[in-house]
Amino acid sequence: MKKDEIVANFVIIAFFVFMLYDSFKLHKIQRFGDVGSGFWPILALSAAIILSIALLISNLKKYQGRKKQPSGEASTSPAAEIDLKNRRKKFVLSAICLLGYILIMPYIGFILATIVYVFAFILALEERRNLVLALSPFLLTALIVIVFAKFIGMPLPRGVDFFAAFSRFIY
Amino acid sequence: MVEHYLTAFAAIFHPQNLLALTLGGLWGLMAGALPGISTSMGVVLLLPFTYAMSPLTAFTILVAAYCGGITGGSITSILFGIPGEPSSVPTVIEGHSLAKQGRAAYALWVFLLCSIGGGLFSVFVMMAATPIIANFALRFGPPEYFALTMLGLSVVSGLSGGSVLKGLISCMLGIFLATIGTDGITGLERFTFGTTILLGGISFITAMVGLLAVSEIFIEAEEPFKEYKGSANYRGMKEEMPKFSEFKENWPTLTKSPIIGTIVGALPGAGATIAAFLAYGEAARTSKHPEKFGNGAVEGLMAAESANNASTGGSMTILLSLGIPGSNTTAMLIAAFMIHGLQPGPLLLTQRPDIIYGIFVAMLMANVFLLGLTIVGIRMFLQLNRLPYSVFSAAIMILCVIGAFGLNNNMDDLYLMLAFGLIGYYMRKYGFPIAPAVLALVLGDLAELSLRRSLLLSLGDPLILVSRPLSAILLAAAVFSIVYPLFKKPKMLQGL
Repeated sequence: MKKDEIVANFVIIAFFVFMLYDSFKLHKIQRFGDVGSGFWPILALSAAIILSIALLISNLKKYQGRKKQPSGEASTSPAAEIDLKNRRKKFVLSAICLLGYILIMPYIGFILATIVYVFAFILALEERRNLVLALSPFLLTALIVIVFAKFIGMPLPRGVDFFAAFSRFIY
Repeated sequence: MVEHYLTAFAAIFHPQNLLALTLGGLWGLMAGALPGISTSMGVVLLLPFTYAMSPLTAFTILVAAYCGGITGGSITSILFGIPGEPSSVPTVIEGHSLAKQGRAAYALWVFLLCSIGGGLFSVFVMMAATPIIANFALRFGPPEYFALTMLGLSVVSGLSGGSVLKGLISCMLGIFLATIGTDGITGLERFTFGTTILLGGISFITAMVGLLAVSEIFIEAEEPFKEYKGSANYRGMKEEMPKFSEFKENWPTLTKSPIIGTIVGALPGAGATIAAFLAYGEAARTSKHPEKFGNGAVEGLMAAESANNASTGGSMTILLSLGIPGSNTTAMLIAAFMIHGLQPGPLLLTQRPDIIYGIFVAMLMANVFLLGLTIVGIRMFLQLNRLPYSVFSAAIMILCVIGAFGLNNNMDDLYLMLAFGLIGYYMRKYGFPIAPAVLALVLGDLAELSLRRSLLLSLGDPLILVSRPLSAILLAAAVFSIVYPLFKKPKMLQGL
């Protein structure tokens, strides 16, 4: 059992406890027979906390059990560690690309944001073929704009100022 | 009833709906055939295309994609030994063994005919059972609805794979998320923290896109480039068509498996994977040649394929008659109903028979179309596996963004989608099943409203929940379905 799973258990419990604290503010009975707005969330969050504590105890027991074993969990090999770091890097980069895409879209419009996003995202996924890097952002964006903006007529974000004028030129 | 069917057939045979059947089926087959795209992800990615469609066309394309996804998962399983869907694992064991023996075309024929047979069987069951169950459900009051949702959520949590404890925590998270926004009874704001983003509650589609699709892309993004190699043994479907006598020999399996699939499909949370494993296990248990299982047993392939496709009809029966989704994919269909201003459940059958009977006929025709689409398109689906995943996942992510944005044309939904994508990623990483959270998000509101209405009816007396026979039985079944897996998990489901 890895330590990070136990840390995750604590984070989950803290989240549910915080929300439970907040839900007590909602618990006002307004008419006879009504249990109030807070009743259902309090019920769900209390159950969630009890279950999360049970999971934490079970994980701690497993962790202690493995620690006691002399052969225990073998330390990870350098190759495995590099692989893990690489995996994490790709996940973080993918999430950052998506966040950036969402952040810039209202300003530069859907078309330019998508071209930039596709290029950055496939680069983050270690795509290194020049032809794919050069063509796919434009082809993919063109396809999406034709289907959604032109054919379905969906009002995709146009951006501001110059970018809005550019977007209006296309859709 | 006959006139409803005639009207539905006329509507489905409209060129627009025939095109929707074809495109939906092709998309579903492609989504199912590609590892990394699940059926539910295939359906959720289709949702933005349906915003501007008429309700019947939208459901035609969605149910065709649903049936296609379940069918398509077996193509790569047989030819490459890579399960496109978790429900195709038994198909990998038997079908790929046959392919390695040089009988890929034979295995593909068996899979296709059994899949379509199982699918058609379950559609006929759905057509017969939905009106009966819906008619019965019209008598349900708030206590019965509360008990029914509790049963649904408990079965989902217990059977969704991995730890029951994690399934239940995931379910509680979904129930909590469903409470965010304005309370439907008192009008009080809950957990909005003063923001306007959360005032209207969390949209199912945004949450589902994030939890199911975005998180899956994050998980797949970590993987190195995949190189799929074609099966050297596949030459074409014309070769090695199975004889009728081979099906006749295996009639007990071919009879039992679709029944198992339909019943298991109707259980919330069970779905195609458990249906396929149970039918496969049953076929192995009763086979005259159990030693062949694991080495290309045709009987095992027939059982798994008949059952996993039959689960679609079972799942749809419960969705259309009771408004309870049994799986992630049917939860997407609930979202589609809501987009088009419809509330699935017993009343829909009387209020909008055109939609319900249209869905029946669309599912029937989807299964027929899939036979032709698979034969014609099989080479195309195999070529798709050669596409670089980087470009493919970028395209999927853009579809996710459009799906989440297009619902309300609101950028805030995209931030919520990203947040749910991250939540889903960590849930997958730490082994928390996603299905209970998604279904609880969909059913949580109904459960809360039913409970509070029940208590209003009884002036606060909770005994109303157990004093009505049906409600008491359903609640007892809910408790059983949580307690049973804690002590004994069926051997067949271990490791799922």
